[in-house]
Amino acid sequence: MSDRRVLFEHVLEPGTGKAIELLKGQILRIEQVEGGQCADFNCFNLHDYKEFMHCGRTRTVHGFHPTKGTFMWSAPPRERAMLYILEDTVGRNDVLFPRCSAYVYEASYGFAVHTNCHDIQAEAQREYGLTPDDVHDSFNLFMCTGVDQDGHAYMTRQTTKAGDHVDLLALMDVLAIPNVCGADVMRTSNFALKPLKLTVFAATEADLAAVPKTPVLSSQRTPKDFRNPTIKTDRPLRRDPSYHPEFPNTPIRITELPVSLSEEELAAFNAVKRADIYGEDDAAALRDLLFSWWEERFLQAHAGAPSIENQ
Amino acid sequence: MADAVIKLRLNQQQLELMDRTIARGIAADRAALVRLALQEYAAARKAEIKAKPNDLEPVR
Repeated sequence: MSDRRVLFEHVLEPGTGKAIELLKGQILRIEQVEGGQCADFNCFNLHDYKEFMHCGRTRTVHGFHPTKGTFMWSAPPRERAMLYILEDTVGRNDVLFPRCSAYVYEASYGFAVHTNCHDIQAEAQREYGLTPDDVHDSFNLFMCTGVDQDGHAYMTRQTTKAGDHVDLLALMDVLAIPNVCGADVMRTSNFALKPLKLTVFAATEADLAAVPKTPVLSSQRTPKDFRNPTIKTDRPLRRDPSYHPEFPNTPIRITELPVSLSEEELAAFNAVKRADIYGEDDAAALRDLLFSWWEERFLQAHAGAPSIENQ
Repeated sequence: MADAVIKLRLNQQQLELMDRTIARGIAADRAALVRLALQEYAAARKAEIKAKPNDLEPVR
Protein backbone atom coordinates (compact mmCIF):
# COMPACT_ATOMS: atom_id res chain seq x y z
CA MET A 1 0.00 0.00 0.00
CA SER A 2 2.98 2.32 -0.58
CA ASP A 3 0.93 4.43 -3.03
CA ARG A 4 -1.34 5.67 -0.24
CA ARG A 5 -0.87 9.36 0.41
CA VAL A 6 -0.14 10.26 4.07
CA LEU A 7 -2.41 13.05 5.32
CA PHE A 8 -1.63 13.16 9.03
CA GLU A 9 0.70 11.54 11.55
CA HIS A 10 0.58 11.66 15.32
CA VAL A 11 2.07 9.70 18.19
CA LEU A 12 -0.36 9.02 21.00
CA GLU A 13 1.65 9.27 24.17
CA PRO A 14 0.70 7.05 27.13
CA GLY A 15 -2.29 8.46 28.99
CA THR A 16 -3.61 10.34 25.96
CA GLY A 17 -6.11 10.10 23.13
CA LYS A 18 -6.78 12.13 20.00
CA ALA A 19 -9.98 13.08 18.18
CA ILE A 20 -9.41 12.94 14.43
CA GLU A 21 -11.73 14.06 11.64
CA LEU A 22 -11.60 11.04 9.38
CA LEU A 23 -13.43 11.71 6.16
CA LYS A 24 -15.13 9.14 3.94
CA GLY A 25 -12.43 7.40 1.93
CA GLN A 26 -9.65 8.03 4.43
CA ILE A 27 -7.85 5.36 6.41
CA LEU A 28 -6.78 5.59 10.03
CA ARG A 29 -3.87 3.31 10.91
CA ILE A 30 -3.40 2.56 14.60
CA GLU A 31 0.05 1.09 15.00
CA GLN A 32 2.12 -0.46 17.74
CA VAL A 33 5.30 1.51 18.47
CA GLU A 34 6.84 -0.89 20.97
CA GLY A 35 4.19 -3.62 20.94
CA GLY A 36 1.88 -4.88 23.65
CA GLN A 37 -0.44 -1.87 23.83
CA CYS A 38 -4.25 -1.90 23.80
CA ALA A 39 -6.05 1.00 22.08
CA ASP A 40 -9.61 1.93 23.01
CA PHE A 41 -11.64 3.45 20.22
CA ASN A 42 -14.78 5.61 19.94
CA CYS A 43 -16.35 6.88 16.75
CA PHE A 44 -19.12 9.36 15.91
CA ASN A 45 -20.76 10.54 12.71
CA LEU A 46 -18.91 13.82 12.19
CA HIS A 47 -22.12 15.60 11.14
CA ASP A 48 -24.45 14.10 13.77
CA TYR A 49 -22.80 12.92 16.98
CA LYS A 50 -25.95 11.08 18.01
CA GLU A 51 -24.94 8.41 15.51
CA PHE A 52 -22.07 6.49 17.09
CA MET A 53 -20.33 3.15 16.83
CA HIS A 54 -22.16 0.41 18.71
CA CYS A 55 -20.20 -2.52 20.11
CA GLY A 56 -23.39 -4.51 20.73
CA ARG A 57 -24.45 -4.36 17.11
CA THR A 58 -20.88 -4.94 15.94
CA ARG A 59 -20.39 -8.07 18.05
CA THR A 60 -23.78 -9.42 17.00
CA VAL A 61 -22.77 -9.17 13.36
CA HIS A 62 -19.09 -10.12 13.60
CA GLY A 63 -18.59 -11.94 16.90
CA PHE A 64 -16.51 -11.08 19.95
CA HIS A 65 -13.26 -10.49 18.04
CA PRO A 66 -13.95 -8.48 14.88
CA THR A 67 -10.93 -8.30 12.60
CA LYS A 68 -9.92 -7.72 8.97
CA GLY A 69 -12.92 -7.86 6.66
CA THR A 70 -15.51 -6.72 9.20
CA PHE A 71 -17.28 -3.45 9.93
CA MET A 72 -17.91 -1.15 12.87
CA TRP A 73 -21.67 -0.48 12.92
CA SER A 74 -23.62 2.43 14.34
CA ALA A 75 -26.35 2.00 16.97
CA PRO A 76 -30.03 1.44 16.13
CA PRO A 77 -31.97 2.95 14.53
CA ARG A 78 -29.13 4.09 12.23
CA GLU A 79 -27.33 0.71 11.94
CA ARG A 80 -24.94 1.79 9.22
CA ALA A 81 -21.46 0.51 8.53
CA MET A 82 -19.27 3.41 9.71
CA LEU A 83 -15.80 1.93 9.30
CA TYR A 84 -14.36 -1.09 7.53
CA ILE A 85 -11.40 -2.99 9.01
CA LEU A 86 -9.21 -3.08 5.95
CA GLU A 87 -6.13 -4.58 7.57
CA ASP A 88 -5.33 -6.19 10.90
CA THR A 89 -1.90 -7.74 11.30
CA VAL A 90 -2.78 -9.33 14.64
CA GLY A 91 -6.43 -10.34 14.40
CA ARG A 92 -7.28 -10.03 18.07
CA ASN A 93 -9.62 -7.22 19.07
CA ASP A 94 -12.34 -7.04 21.70
CA VAL A 95 -15.94 -5.86 21.86
CA LEU A 96 -16.81 -7.59 25.14
CA PHE A 97 -15.21 -5.34 27.72
CA PRO A 98 -16.29 -1.79 28.46
CA ARG A 99 -13.72 0.98 28.71
CA CYS A 100 -11.83 1.04 31.98
CA SER A 101 -12.86 3.89 34.26
CA ALA A 102 -11.70 5.84 37.30
CA TYR A 103 -14.20 3.85 39.37
CA VAL A 104 -12.46 0.57 38.47
CA TYR A 105 -9.09 1.83 39.64
CA GLU A 106 -10.45 3.33 42.83
CA ALA A 107 -12.69 0.38 43.72
CA SER A 108 -10.22 -2.40 42.90
CA TYR A 109 -6.82 -0.77 43.38
CA GLY A 110 -7.39 2.23 45.67
CA PHE A 111 -6.17 4.91 43.25
CA ALA A 112 -7.54 8.41 43.84
CA VAL A 113 -6.49 9.25 40.28
CA HIS A 114 -5.35 6.85 37.57
CA THR A 115 -5.16 6.90 33.78
CA ASN A 116 -8.37 5.31 32.48
CA CYS A 117 -9.98 4.99 29.07
CA HIS A 118 -13.22 6.73 29.96
CA ASP A 119 -11.56 9.90 31.19
CA ILE A 120 -8.97 9.86 28.38
CA GLN A 121 -11.77 9.52 25.82
CA ALA A 122 -13.78 12.28 27.50
CA GLU A 123 -10.81 14.64 27.48
CA ALA A 124 -10.07 13.92 23.80
CA GLN A 125 -13.74 14.31 22.85
CA ARG A 126 -13.96 17.63 24.72
CA GLU A 127 -12.02 19.17 21.82
CA TYR A 128 -15.24 18.73 19.81
CA GLY A 129 -17.67 19.85 22.51
CA LEU A 130 -18.70 16.42 23.73
CA THR A 131 -19.20 15.65 27.42
CA PRO A 132 -18.10 12.71 29.59
CA ASP A 133 -21.62 11.30 29.17
CA ASP A 134 -21.07 11.04 25.41
CA VAL A 135 -18.22 8.51 25.67
CA HIS A 136 -19.59 5.18 24.44
CA ASP A 137 -18.61 1.53 24.73
CA SER A 138 -15.19 1.16 23.22
CA PHE A 139 -13.92 -1.08 20.46
CA ASN A 140 -10.74 -2.40 22.08
CA LEU A 141 -7.98 -2.86 19.52
CA PHE A 142 -5.30 -5.47 20.20
CA MET A 143 -7.05 -6.50 23.44
CA CYS A 144 -6.89 -10.23 24.05
CA THR A 145 -10.10 -11.49 25.68
CA GLY A 146 -12.38 -14.47 25.82
CA VAL A 147 -15.31 -16.02 27.68
CA ASP A 148 -14.77 -18.80 30.19
CA GLN A 149 -17.01 -21.84 30.65
CA ASP A 150 -19.00 -20.05 33.37
CA GLY A 151 -19.82 -17.23 30.96
CA HIS A 152 -17.47 -14.64 32.44
CA ALA A 153 -15.38 -12.46 30.16
CA TYR A 154 -11.67 -12.49 30.85
CA MET A 155 -8.66 -10.65 29.50
CA THR A 156 -5.13 -11.84 29.07
CA ARG A 157 -1.80 -10.60 27.79
CA GLN A 158 -1.22 -9.73 24.13
CA THR A 159 1.61 -10.69 21.80
CA THR A 160 1.62 -7.67 19.47
CA LYS A 161 4.98 -6.37 18.19
CA ALA A 162 6.22 -3.01 16.95
CA GLY A 163 4.69 -2.31 13.55
CA ASP A 164 1.54 -4.37 14.10
CA HIS A 165 -1.42 -2.30 13.02
CA VAL A 166 -5.10 -2.05 12.24
CA ASP A 167 -6.30 0.03 9.27
CA LEU A 168 -9.80 1.51 9.55
CA LEU A 169 -11.38 2.81 6.35
CA ALA A 170 -14.07 5.47 6.88
CA LEU A 171 -17.32 4.75 5.01
CA MET A 172 -18.76 8.08 6.15
CA ASP A 173 -17.27 11.24 7.65
CA VAL A 174 -16.52 10.39 11.29
CA LEU A 175 -14.83 11.73 14.37
CA ALA A 176 -12.48 8.86 15.25
CA ILE A 177 -11.03 8.83 18.76
CA PRO A 178 -8.35 6.28 19.63
CA ASN A 179 -6.62 6.36 23.00
CA VAL A 180 -3.78 4.52 24.68
CA CYS A 181 -5.57 2.26 27.16
CA GLY A 182 -4.86 3.47 30.69
CA ALA A 183 -4.51 0.01 32.23
CA ASP A 184 -0.99 -0.58 33.55
CA VAL A 185 -1.96 -2.71 36.53
CA MET A 186 -3.90 -5.23 34.42
CA ARG A 187 -2.87 -7.73 31.77
CA THR A 188 -4.56 -5.72 29.00
CA SER A 189 -1.33 -4.11 27.79
CA ASN A 190 1.13 -6.46 29.50
CA PHE A 191 1.42 -4.24 32.61
CA ALA A 192 2.88 -1.13 30.93
CA LEU A 193 1.72 1.97 29.05
CA LYS A 194 3.33 2.49 25.64
CA PRO A 195 2.78 4.96 22.79
CA LEU A 196 0.78 4.21 19.66
CA LYS A 197 1.31 5.74 16.24
CA LEU A 198 -1.60 7.16 14.26
CA THR A 199 -1.44 7.73 10.52
CA VAL A 200 -4.22 8.96 8.26
CA PHE A 201 -3.98 7.98 4.60
CA ALA A 202 -6.10 8.74 1.58
CA ALA A 203 -7.50 5.38 0.45
CA THR A 204 -6.49 4.11 -2.96
CA GLU A 205 -8.94 2.77 -5.53
CA ALA A 206 -7.82 -0.73 -4.55
CA ASP A 207 -8.60 -0.01 -0.89
CA LEU A 208 -12.09 1.20 -1.76
CA ALA A 209 -12.72 -1.75 -4.05
CA ALA A 210 -11.96 -4.16 -1.20
CA VAL A 211 -15.04 -3.15 0.81
CA PRO A 212 -17.95 -5.62 0.61
CA LYS A 213 -21.39 -4.20 -0.07
CA THR A 214 -23.74 -3.85 2.88
CA PRO A 215 -27.51 -3.58 2.53
CA VAL A 216 -29.20 -0.18 2.41
CA LEU A 217 -32.61 -0.64 4.06
CA SER A 218 -35.55 1.57 4.96
CA SER A 219 -35.15 0.53 8.61
CA GLN A 220 -31.85 2.46 8.81
CA ARG A 221 -33.52 5.61 10.07
CA THR A 222 -32.14 9.08 10.62
CA PRO A 223 -33.58 12.13 12.47
CA LYS A 224 -35.78 12.99 9.46
CA ASP A 225 -37.67 9.77 10.27
CA PHE A 226 -37.95 10.35 14.03
CA ARG A 227 -41.21 11.38 15.69
CA ASN A 228 -39.00 13.44 17.99
CA PRO A 229 -35.93 14.64 16.09
CA THR A 230 -35.00 17.36 18.60
CA ILE A 231 -32.02 16.69 20.84
CA LYS A 232 -32.96 17.26 24.47
CA THR A 233 -30.81 20.03 25.91
CA ASP A 234 -31.71 20.04 29.58
CA ARG A 235 -31.08 17.31 32.15
CA PRO A 236 -34.33 16.57 34.05
CA LEU A 237 -36.86 14.17 32.52
CA ARG A 238 -40.45 15.36 32.43
CA ARG A 239 -43.49 13.61 31.01
CA ASP A 240 -44.94 15.06 27.79
CA PRO A 241 -48.68 15.42 28.55
CA SER A 242 -49.49 15.36 24.81
CA TYR A 243 -47.78 11.99 24.32
CA HIS A 244 -49.79 9.25 22.63
CA PRO A 245 -47.95 5.96 22.07
CA GLU A 246 -47.50 4.83 18.47
CA PHE A 247 -45.70 1.52 18.79
CA PRO A 248 -45.18 -0.20 15.44
CA ASN A 249 -47.57 -2.95 14.36
CA THR A 250 -49.77 -2.64 17.43
CA PRO A 251 -52.11 -3.97 18.54
CA ILE A 252 -50.73 -7.46 18.00
CA ARG A 253 -53.62 -9.60 16.75
CA ILE A 254 -53.73 -13.38 16.95
CA THR A 255 -55.27 -15.47 14.17
CA GLU A 256 -55.92 -19.20 14.38
CA LEU A 257 -54.62 -21.30 11.52
CA PRO A 258 -55.95 -24.89 11.55
CA VAL A 259 -53.51 -27.34 9.96
CA SER A 260 -54.53 -30.93 9.21
CA LEU A 261 -51.78 -33.48 9.66
CA SER A 262 -51.96 -37.00 8.28
CA GLU A 263 -51.06 -39.94 10.49
CA GLU A 264 -47.57 -39.96 8.98
CA GLU A 265 -47.14 -36.19 9.41
CA LEU A 266 -48.32 -36.39 13.01
CA ALA A 267 -45.80 -39.14 13.74
CA ALA A 268 -43.03 -37.02 12.23
CA PHE A 269 -44.16 -34.04 14.30
CA ASN A 270 -44.27 -36.07 17.52
CA ALA A 271 -40.75 -37.30 16.83
CA VAL A 272 -39.23 -33.83 16.58
CA LYS A 273 -41.49 -31.48 18.55
CA ARG A 274 -39.94 -29.67 21.52
CA ALA A 275 -42.12 -31.20 24.22
CA ASP A 276 -39.35 -30.33 26.68
CA ILE A 277 -40.25 -26.67 26.19
CA TYR A 278 -43.92 -26.71 25.16
CA GLY A 279 -45.26 -29.77 27.01
CA GLU A 280 -48.66 -30.73 25.60
CA ASP A 281 -49.11 -27.44 23.70
CA ASP A 282 -48.75 -28.86 20.20
CA ALA A 283 -49.82 -25.57 18.62
CA ALA A 284 -46.87 -23.76 20.20
CA ALA A 285 -44.52 -26.61 19.29
CA LEU A 286 -45.65 -26.55 15.66
CA ARG A 287 -45.25 -22.76 15.51
CA ASP A 288 -41.71 -23.16 16.87
CA LEU A 289 -40.99 -25.78 14.23
CA LEU A 290 -42.36 -23.54 11.45
CA PHE A 291 -40.16 -20.56 12.26
CA SER A 292 -37.13 -22.67 13.17
CA TRP A 293 -37.44 -24.21 9.71
CA TRP A 294 -37.79 -20.76 8.17
CA GLU A 295 -34.56 -19.60 9.83
CA GLU A 296 -32.68 -22.67 8.68
CA ARG A 297 -33.90 -22.38 5.11
CA PHE A 298 -33.99 -18.65 4.47
CA LEU A 299 -31.85 -16.74 6.98
CA GLN A 300 -28.62 -15.78 5.26
CA ALA A 301 -26.61 -14.75 8.33
CA HIS A 302 -26.81 -15.70 11.98
CA ALA A 303 -28.50 -13.76 14.77
CA GLY A 304 -30.31 -11.32 12.51
CA ALA A 305 -27.06 -10.02 11.03
CA PRO A 306 -27.32 -8.38 7.62
CA SER A 307 -26.32 -10.29 4.56
CA ILE A 308 -22.97 -8.80 3.54
CA GLU A 309 -22.08 -9.27 -0.09
CA ASN A 310 -18.51 -10.45 -0.42
CA GLN A 311 -16.84 -9.62 -3.65
CA MET B 1 -57.43 -42.74 11.21
CA ALA B 2 -58.73 -39.21 10.58
CA ASP B 3 -56.27 -36.36 10.16
CA ALA B 4 -55.27 -34.56 13.34
CA VAL B 5 -55.93 -30.82 13.36
CA ILE B 6 -53.54 -28.48 15.16
CA LYS B 7 -54.64 -24.86 15.46
CA LEU B 8 -51.60 -22.58 15.28
CA ARG B 9 -51.91 -19.18 16.95
CA LEU B 10 -50.08 -16.66 14.78
CA ASN B 11 -49.88 -12.89 14.88
CA GLN B 12 -50.07 -10.56 11.90
CA GLN B 13 -46.28 -10.30 11.58
CA GLN B 14 -45.83 -14.05 11.56
CA LEU B 15 -48.59 -14.35 8.97
CA GLU B 16 -46.93 -11.65 6.86
CA LEU B 17 -43.67 -13.61 6.81
CA MET B 18 -45.57 -16.75 5.83
CA ASP B 19 -47.44 -14.93 3.08
CA ARG B 20 -44.24 -13.42 1.66
CA THR B 21 -42.72 -16.89 1.65
CA ILE B 22 -45.76 -18.31 -0.12
CA ALA B 23 -45.56 -15.47 -2.68
CA ARG B 24 -42.09 -16.75 -3.58
CA GLY B 25 -43.71 -19.98 -4.73
CA ILE B 26 -42.52 -22.06 -1.80
CA ALA B 27 -46.00 -23.46 -0.99
CA ALA B 28 -49.58 -23.09 -2.19
CA ASP B 29 -51.06 -21.70 1.02
CA ARG B 30 -50.40 -21.23 4.74
CA ALA B 31 -51.34 -24.76 5.76
CA ALA B 32 -49.23 -26.20 2.96
CA LEU B 33 -46.30 -24.09 4.12
CA VAL B 34 -46.61 -25.50 7.64
CA ARG B 35 -46.70 -29.05 6.28
CA LEU B 36 -43.65 -28.36 4.10
CA ALA B 37 -41.83 -26.96 7.13
CA LEU B 38 -42.68 -30.10 9.10
CA GLN B 39 -41.55 -32.38 6.29
CA GLU B 40 -38.21 -30.60 5.77
CA TYR B 41 -37.54 -29.97 9.46
CA ALA B 42 -38.21 -33.62 10.36
CA ALA B 43 -36.01 -34.84 7.50
CA ALA B 44 -33.17 -32.59 8.64
CA ARG B 45 -33.47 -33.79 12.24
CA LYS B 46 -33.51 -37.41 11.07
CA ALA B 47 -30.26 -36.81 9.21
CA GLU B 48 -28.74 -35.11 12.26
CA ILE B 49 -29.80 -37.86 14.64
CA LYS B 50 -28.00 -40.37 12.43
CA ALA B 51 -24.85 -38.24 12.69
CA LYS B 52 -25.23 -37.15 16.33
CA PRO B 53 -27.81 -39.33 18.12
CA ASN B 54 -28.09 -37.40 21.42
CA ASP B 55 -28.75 -33.89 20.17
CA LEU B 56 -31.88 -32.65 18.43
CA GLU B 57 -30.58 -29.07 18.11
CA PRO B 58 -29.71 -28.08 14.57
CA VAL B 59 -26.14 -27.12 13.78
CA ARG B 60 -26.15 -23.47 12.67
